[in-house]
Amino acid sequence: MIEITYDVFARKNRGDLLSHVGYVDALDDETAKVHAWTTYSEESWFEMCVVRRSQILPVNRVDGPFAKAQGGVV
Amino acid sequence: MSHVISVESLTDGGRAALERLILSLADSKRLMGIRYSDWVLGAPSLETGIATSSMTQDEWGHARLLYAMLKHLDIDPTQVEHDRSAEAYANLSVLDQPFDDWAALVAAMVIADGALSVALCAFSEGTFEPARVRVPKMLAEESFHVSLGVAWYGRLSAASDEARSLLRAATDRQLPVVLAWLGSDDAASRELVELGVMPSAEALTTAFKASVRDVLADGDVDVDAIEAASDWDAARGRASGHPDDDSVDRACGSKNRALLVE
Repeated sequence: MIEITYDVFARKNRGDLLSHVGYVDALDDETAKVHAWTTYSEESWFEMCVVRRSQILPVNRVDGPFAKAQGGVV
Repeated sequence: MSHVISVESLTDGGRAALERLILSLADSKRLMGIRYSDWVLGAPSLETGIATSSMTQDEWGHARLLYAMLKHLDIDPTQVEHDRSAEAYANLSVLDQPFDDWAALVAAMVIADGALSVALCAFSEGTFEPARVRVPKMLAEESFHVSLGVAWYGRLSAASDEARSLLRAATDRQLPVVLAWLGSDDAASRELVELGVMPSAEALTTAFKASVRDVLADGDVDVDAIEAASDWDAARGRASGHPDDDSVDRACGSKNRALLVE
């Protein structure tokens, strides 16, 4: 089963900064939304978004999970 | 539909029909929750297990709200929830037994849970005011269940021969039963249509088929070619049979409720 890693961002209240709250693995965008909403349900979020990790471009590092998703050094 | 019915003015037949509908929806939600809970551990991934856990909670919350609607008919929901025999349950019969495999649960997400949402949507647009108030939030939560079910149905449809075979077998078992449930045109169903509580059986069936036609087509199933099952118990508004004893014990909390000190 091939799954895609998505990073999860959320804010508790309108006007709060959008924060990185974790990640989920999912089959596709729709299941990623379900997994994110059910996995990170500890808060009553005002807004939640998911982003495919492969779409996040690291700016200043060539290590770590985001660079790895781009084929960088781990 | 702007007017609402007065429960006090219902005939005996109208009250019985409304009670059957509420019980059928509430019992189905309770059993659907149990079926989701069966897969909290053992789902294909950690995230999917968490999702089924969340859906379990959703279904039991929905069941609780639906049982509470019986108060409007002067029926004690506590007795209904905790002190009934298996033979009295009015749930969709496809939920009577545990599912043997993940594919069967996926089929139930699309077919059984999908049919329940179609019925609930119609209930929320009818003349029974408590449904108008309570059901919309349920439907908002159900949108996640649909998303998960549709994604998994499509994925299994494109997977191995074994996965396709299991999915098709589950679909073939569940779809005729669900079509019979939505398409019931017996006296109680017609009473509800007359009261404006529910739309016609034809309207419900049409709405359901529209909601699942494309996803089932992924599994080479033509929903328009499937015949509704003929097995029907009008007293409970479902097919014959009943949930297994273990499921009813879990639904009622029978084994552990005796420990309560009230």
